[in-house]
Amino acid sequence: MFWHVLRTEVFKFRQSGMLPILLVSPFIGLMIGVMTNLSGMATGGNSWLLLVQFMLLPYAVLFLPLMTGVLAGVICRYEHQAGGWKQLLSLPITRGSVFAAKYALLMAAVLIMQLLFLGAVFLVGQLKGITDPFPMIIFWKSIFGGWIATLPLAALQLTLSIMWKSFAAPFAVNVIFTLPAILAVNSQDFGPFYPWGQPFLMMYTGSASDSVFYVPWEQVLTVVGGSLVIFLAAGWFYFQRKAV
Amino acid sequence: MDYVIQTNQLVKQFGREQAVDTINLAIPEGEVYGFLGPNGAGKTTTIRMLLGLMKPTSGTIHIFNRDLKKERISILKQVGSLVENPSYYPHLTARENLEALRKIYQVPKSRIDEVLAIVKLEDAADKKVKAFSLGMKQRLGIAAALLHEPKLLILDEPTNGLDPSGIIEVRHLIKSLPAKFGITVLISSHLLSEIDQMATSVGIISEGKLIFQDTIERLRDHAREHITLRVGDSMAASEALLVRGVHAESRDGLVFLQEGSDTHVAQAVRMLVQDGYNVYRIEEAKRSLEDIFLDMTKGNVL
Repeated sequence: MFWHVLRTEVFKFRQSGMLPILLVSPFIGLMIGVMTNLSGMATGGNSWLLLVQFMLLPYAVLFLPLMTGVLAGVICRYEHQAGGWKQLLSLPITRGSVFAAKYALLMAAVLIMQLLFLGAVFLVGQLKGITDPFPMIIFWKSIFGGWIATLPLAALQLTLSIMWKSFAAPFAVNVIFTLPAILAVNSQDFGPFYPWGQPFLMMYTGSASDSVFYVPWEQVLTVVGGSLVIFLAAGWFYFQRKAV
Repeated sequence: MDYVIQTNQLVKQFGREQAVDTINLAIPEGEVYGFLGPNGAGKTTTIRMLLGLMKPTSGTIHIFNRDLKKERISILKQVGSLVENPSYYPHLTARENLEALRKIYQVPKSRIDEVLAIVKLEDAADKKVKAFSLGMKQRLGIAAALLHEPKLLILDEPTNGLDPSGIIEVRHLIKSLPAKFGITVLISSHLLSEIDQMATSVGIISEGKLIFQDTIERLRDHAREHITLRVGDSMAASEALLVRGVHAESRDGLVFLQEGSDTHVAQAVRMLVQDGYNVYRIEEAKRSLEDIFLDMTKGNVL
């Protein structure tokens, strides 16, 4: 049943004409990268790492969390427009499968966005003529880590987008929580506990780490995992009871 | 008799307000059941509960003799619905809208063309639905409800907002469904004339209560004409008629005759004149279905 619902969700999303918004964040990363002058900053290290640090800041702190919210809004918007929920939920499918399919679609879209960002990094490097070896392992760690960090944010945004008919309201909430991340990621005390700061922290290749991710496991499990469980459970139970 | 829908003491409460108040629906198989009531009487709330879109405060719902609470998915596989305003995805074409549903129902693709033909939307199949007129959206909604060949069709105000020719089309379509496809239809409306032209059974709801439920013939019986006589002494006159075996009663200073045929009326008048009563007026009063409906929904019992 889940697969049938997921295929319908993919179909509706693809036909929405909103696929290009997946390009927005990687493109901004690309522009930042192109405008960065690396030649004056010979650090002796791998130039790829230097490049990605510049590109990461706006992408991971702002645009990744913000676009996750926008995508959540998009995949709920057409349900709100003209009685879509009513029709969808009177089909012979469980509400759980609808919620799971929408969440899976959202996370797949975010993953595509992350891969496009990786592509943008590679492209800029080619343009700048970086000759150092491409640090594949480090980048996978960053791309995949950033994706994991958006899991709870996506769950919250999906829930709010289901709850509110307005497209702007969940987005406003997203902005309110995302902007402080700029400060949070610079704070040793507060940063590790702020869910909206996690995408940057988990993508930041500058922090030395031998672990699987760029942040300690405890932080991944408690802050990311904890907020994921809370937001996902809240959304799930809300949707089960929602009167349409 | 086999009932397709049966509710038992169904209640839905919003805060203190009883939107649906202990309703016992019984909808027989193969009927077009007209669910009639003024706006805000609780029709849509009831229908939402029948589809599991909303949970009842108390009471049970059985569809196809199965408990909706326990077997919602398997029941909904055989139910098509159109609730309130038509539901659709504006960014998709008519065909794509149906395709989105087809992926879930897992019916063959050819069904899409079949249902588009049933509602006569073939020519607009590849147009975006946001450009559709209300009538076309309504018909697309009916097509969507028929896509998986349901055994029960639940249509909430399907002719709302349609122009006269659209109403006639939808009416013909709905009337043909039980015979053609063996579908039982529940159709709600706030217009008695609508129901009168389509339904074979009727349930009337007012302020959350089901105040009438029977065949349309029984409802029409209430609309039968009757004769009133204004006479000198209505009490004595009606008794005099009763003594002679004529069914009459006295109310509000008038004598009411139950039999309205010409011979009966002539006979009654002759008796009264012979007995020396003054007959001032003989009138025929006919209550329309609308009058009955209005009477009932105002809380007057039949």
